[in-house]
Amino acid sequence: MSSTTLAPAPIEDDPEAHEKLHVHKIYDQIAPHFSSTRYKPWPIIADFIASLPPGSVGLDSGTGNGKYLPLPLDRPNSIWTIGLDRSRNLLQIAQNAGGKRREVVWGDALEAGWRLGVFDYAISIATIHHLATPTRRRMAIETLLRCISPSNGRLLVYVWAVEQDHLSKRVLPSTADGHITKGQDIFVPWVLSQPSSKPLDHQAPEGGEPKVFNRYYHMFASGELEGLAREAAAVLDLEVISKPSSASDRRVRQGIEIVRSGWERSNWYMELKRWQI
Amino acid sequence: MVRLITHNLLACHVKGCNSNNFPLAFDGPQIEIREAEFNSDFLMGFFPKIEWSALVNASRQLGDQSLPEQQPDAENIDDALLKALHHVLLEIHVENGKMICPNCSHIYPISNGIPNMLLAEHEIA
Repeated sequence: MSSTTLAPAPIEDDPEAHEKLHVHKIYDQIAPHFSSTRYKPWPIIADFIASLPPGSVGLDSGTGNGKYLPLPLDRPNSIWTIGLDRSRNLLQIAQNAGGKRREVVWGDALEAGWRLGVFDYAISIATIHHLATPTRRRMAIETLLRCISPSNGRLLVYVWAVEQDHLSKRVLPSTADGHITKGQDIFVPWVLSQPSSKPLDHQAPEGGEPKVFNRYYHMFASGELEGLAREAAAVLDLEVISKPSSASDRRVRQGIEIVRSGWERSNWYMELKRWQI
Repeated sequence: MVRLITHNLLACHVKGCNSNNFPLAFDGPQIEIREAEFNSDFLMGFFPKIEWSALVNASRQLGDQSLPEQQPDAENIDDALLKALHHVLLEIHVENGKMICPNCSHIYPISNGIPNMLLAEHEIA
């Protein structure tokens, strides 16, 4: 299969309207087909989940088809992950992920319908790259930080990278040899071949012509995700350092530690931990 | 679902609704009981994080009387309590109905086990 050079996606109108058209409406239409291509958990994410102690309860913000909800497979009922997504059609699939009834919530990644600090962990995998402005992407991280425990909550975020590897078959519109330092807004096509898709109730099956949907993504550049985390921390009045060994004075200090960050298979990832002393 | 474990974590997030916004009250709940695999490690780990009176009140609203009013100390958790906790947290599914904020009265509908936590534009902070 040859690579696809992706079209830039200027955001001309209101960001919410842009997301509605180029993200939400599309996922609802492609849900079953999309779900069938998203089944393999990535190693760093699987490891993160495997490291969670029994009794942990967490949020999968942007759960999609719920593929992380059944993990870890070797001790499946020792933690509970609740899946949140904006696509009701994807949620209907996530609700039965791994052949069991899961907890799923129809909601928005920017909204926090949760008690403050209630979760032990949160994961946000391939979700915030669908938000159309830097402010909204930062706010998504704020929302995630607010819902995890201020004393030891853990967060793992994965977003698509400007730097794509040879396996991804996607080429960004700038020069192939140039070093890209800024994130890019682009459309990534999804081809829905009609014969293999199972039409949903409201979707009329079409004749042979495959349908192409252009999904909006903001591809992140190196350091951009970490930059967003620092900005989000500043809004929440959190220091960005490792947990200090003891309180230097009687005031309560709160912060986040960037435990690790890096690039894996065309994604930038970042793991954070909240602390409080 | 919505199981009571999720209900214990949900809060109203309408703009300006910051106090007394949890727990959400059930209205017209239609429930289904579904067996779930018992895991005492999970229950013991989760136990300290439970908002106990919210859980007890919600369970009573749904017709279950098995949990004590007061949360027992961790040392006093026996098998009977764990089994009751397991049932209440994980086996009672609210399939349809509404959840209403005790503070601002916003209605969050539940249909086919999926709660709708989306807000209208004017309600978003």
